[in-house]
Amino acid sequence: MIEIINNSHDPYFNLALEEYAVINLPDTQNYFILWQNQPTIVVGRNQNTIEEINSRYIEEHDIKVVRRMSGGGAVYHDLGNLNFTFVVNENKDFTNFTKFTRPVIKALNRIGIPAENNGRNDITIGGRKFSGNAQFKYKQRLMHHGTILFNSQLEDMVQALNPSTEKISSKGIKSVRSRVTNISEHLSSPLSIEEFKQILTEEVLHEETNNDTYDLSDYDLKIINNLRNNKYSTWNWIYGASPAYNIKKTGNFDWGNIDIRLEIKHGLIKSCRIYGDYFSAHDIAELESGLVGTRYHEADIKERLTELELLRYLPQTDENQITQLLFY
Amino acid sequence: MNIPENLLYTDEHEWISVDGDTGRIGITDYAQHHLGDIVFVELPEVGESFAMRDAVGVIESVKAVVSLYTPASGTILEVNEELEDSPELLNEAPYDSWIAAIKLGDKNDLNKLMNAEAYAAFCQNLED
Repeated sequence: MIEIINNSHDPYFNLALEEYAVINLPDTQNYFILWQNQPTIVVGRNQNTIEEINSRYIEEHDIKVVRRMSGGGAVYHDLGNLNFTFVVNENKDFTNFTKFTRPVIKALNRIGIPAENNGRNDITIGGRKFSGNAQFKYKQRLMHHGTILFNSQLEDMVQALNPSTEKISSKGIKSVRSRVTNISEHLSSPLSIEEFKQILTEEVLHEETNNDTYDLSDYDLKIINNLRNNKYSTWNWIYGASPAYNIKKTGNFDWGNIDIRLEIKHGLIKSCRIYGDYFSAHDIAELESGLVGTRYHEADIKERLTELELLRYLPQTDENQITQLLFY
Repeated sequence: MNIPENLLYTDEHEWISVDGDTGRIGITDYAQHHLGDIVFVELPEVGESFAMRDAVGVIESVKAVVSLYTPASGTILEVNEELEDSPELLNEAPYDSWIAAIKLGDKNDLNKLMNAEAYAAFCQNLED
């Protein structure tokens, strides 16, 4: 087992590194990575991002958003959370998750905390979840990763994962709320996250052979950063790769009531209907069709509304009022 | 393990049925069994072209996310949109639940696939 040393807290880089380890690193070795993100929401591969996040809260608190390769629901990371990743060969079956969660449970036992697998994906302490796990398979390679809440800001987690957007419907994977706990709540004597990392690493390597550590080379970093810049940090991947969805937004303004319904596919507006009791000097159908093909992205829609001369259709509103209605 | 005689198979557990220039692709009984409950399918776009073994879709089960690789090169003619609403059909009837129909780009691709007998032996080997 090769431990890849990764001290980056950049979520886009860290997710790119995982993909690189699965797809590019030699499959003659198995890999283990411990890593942490600055405050970030990580959504599952097939989730609709805007359905999972509180856009206003994450903007105000500078919380990043990133999409991972594996499935499941949205999770919150900060520097109180520790992530672990295994990349192994697996050409028979999907391995039992317990093979990968066992070292985590043993690490907790070593510091005097009883923990148990709960369902397939979770590890819990007294029934409360502190670790969520997911897998991604690429040809004969299997990636297993999981989160470990050590001393995360749970209040930020609750707020950031509480979407304000109303009435979105999609076929994407929905997140399931769990009762969560930090490991730190259960400690009998003080322990830093760095000390816990050391204990966990020992438990992982204890079960393995031919152990070594690996520092990413300049060549590795070049490819990972390329993937970071061209995939993981892009709007197209974070938002655009969401499953198709419908959104319905209603607003009551002094100039009238408005009801906007959009169909979004690949991040682009596929169809648009606008209803309401407002006064419009021009046929609103022109505005509706003019929005088709625009990225469902605040700045893009604002720009498109200006180009389409929004005020010809809705004289008493402005671009900001409409994008506020749509995005917050 | 159900392995119909009239299909061709890949070592990634996809099947293809061929009718003239058209192939229909799906995942095998072995694949659905090992994936567990399938909860999401991302389909390719009609008109997209792919080389043999390109990833054309994504399947998410309760266990893992995997890619779907096309057994043969070609252009997507049709996709089974029913799977967007009912991904569990891939578990319930993997050989009736085709995922995409493809206009075959090169019929020689089919020579590189396994017949039912070879695929059965391949699966047996994995289980041993």
